Amino acid sequence: MGASVGVTAAPQAPNYRVTYHLRVVERTAGETRLLASAAVSGPPETDMRLALRAGTTELQGLLGTLPEPDTVNLAGLFFSRRQVGRSRRGLPLWEEDSYRRWSRVAWGGTTLLYPFGPPGVGQRRVVWVEITVSRAFAAGETRASEEATVIDSAVAFSAQAVIPPRRVTVRMWLVRGDTASSRQVVDLVPETTGRRVSFRLGREKLDFDVALERPEPPRTGRDSALAVAVDVVCLRVVPPESAEAARVRCGRLDDIARRVALVSGDTLMATFGWPAAR
Amino acid sequence: MNHDEWVQQIDLELDGELSLPERASLARHLAGCRHCAEARVSHLELRVAFARSAGEPHARTVPRPRIRGRTLAFWMTASLVAGAAAGWLGHSRWGGPGSEAIEATRATFVTR
Repeated sequence: MGASVGVTAAPQAPNYRVTYHLRVVERTAGETRLLASAAVSGPPETDMRLALRAGTTELQGLLGTLPEPDTVNLAGLFFSRRQVGRSRRGLPLWEEDSYRRWSRVAWGGTTLLYPFGPPGVGQRRVVWVEITVSRAFAAGETRASEEATVIDSAVAFSAQAVIPPRRVTVRMWLVRGDTASSRQVVDLVPETTGRRVSFRLGREKLDFDVALERPEPPRTGRDSALAVAVDVVCLRVVPPESAEAARVRCGRLDDIARRVALVSGDTLMATFGWPAAR
Repeated sequence: MNHDEWVQQIDLELDGELSLPERASLARHLAGCRHCAEARVSHLELRVAFARSAGEPHARTVPRPRIRGRTLAFWMTASLVAGAAAGWLGHSRWGGPGSEAIEATRATFVTR
């Protein structure tokens, strides 16, 4: 009986969502307070890009999970740097470091990340990040979600879900001066044939061929390691049967409007978002 | 010897750095060169003015300015204090490398 269950379950992808809960906490002179918090979730393969800056020290990292039945391995690749002064021309000079760390915790358990090194004896100010990795069963939902709250702006903090989008909802408007067309919404799959989209500006009808591409590979090893291009798509816009060069605009799936300046002088506004759950 | 070189000889003579044959040669030249003789008078008057301004009108040579030991010590101390203050201000404003290596500030996981 047990063998039959194993055979039927093996071909299926794990049907759960992984969630990273983060709390950035500071302890100064015995007083503990919350500086920021975030929650990042997505399908099991979701990684998390973390950035934290306090004073003249910065930490960027890419965290991923390696699940086991009862526990999860949390692996991180980190890049840190700190300012060591300024050049004679007033430009900042930085000292950089990169390394890997990992921790094994139970699902739902919490591990502490000391982003600027373990606390020393008698150290007055200590900052740490509480990371809780949990999973919840949810079938078929592939979109990522992320939210971050910064309570104290003295600390710059961000947490982003890193997952390559298989399908993207693109919302577009065509803008000419003070006039905007009605919104067009299309679901596009990156690296496939695009779609023709029509806009109406007054009595004029304008067609465009739009397609999604992956961005250029990262130029530096650091960007590659932090997977900065994984969760980014590029919108390619060109009028049909036109010899003019296509206009390209790249961005994350964060529903932030991006402008594409067209050769005709019009502006195409576009947002990238995760498709609604099916 | 051209005119400029004779003027240099005049300076050396007034400094007492010429040998007897050189002084004789210069004296012969001055006897026949009115221009150089006037230059010698001008240089002498200049030195008298310097000696007067230094408070020693009867000096045999132009007195050199003296730097007192206390003054020198004062300015050296002031320079050191100003340098240290500038370093402290620069460090407080633009940061510094810290007292420990960057490897000591690496992020660390601690499991509860």
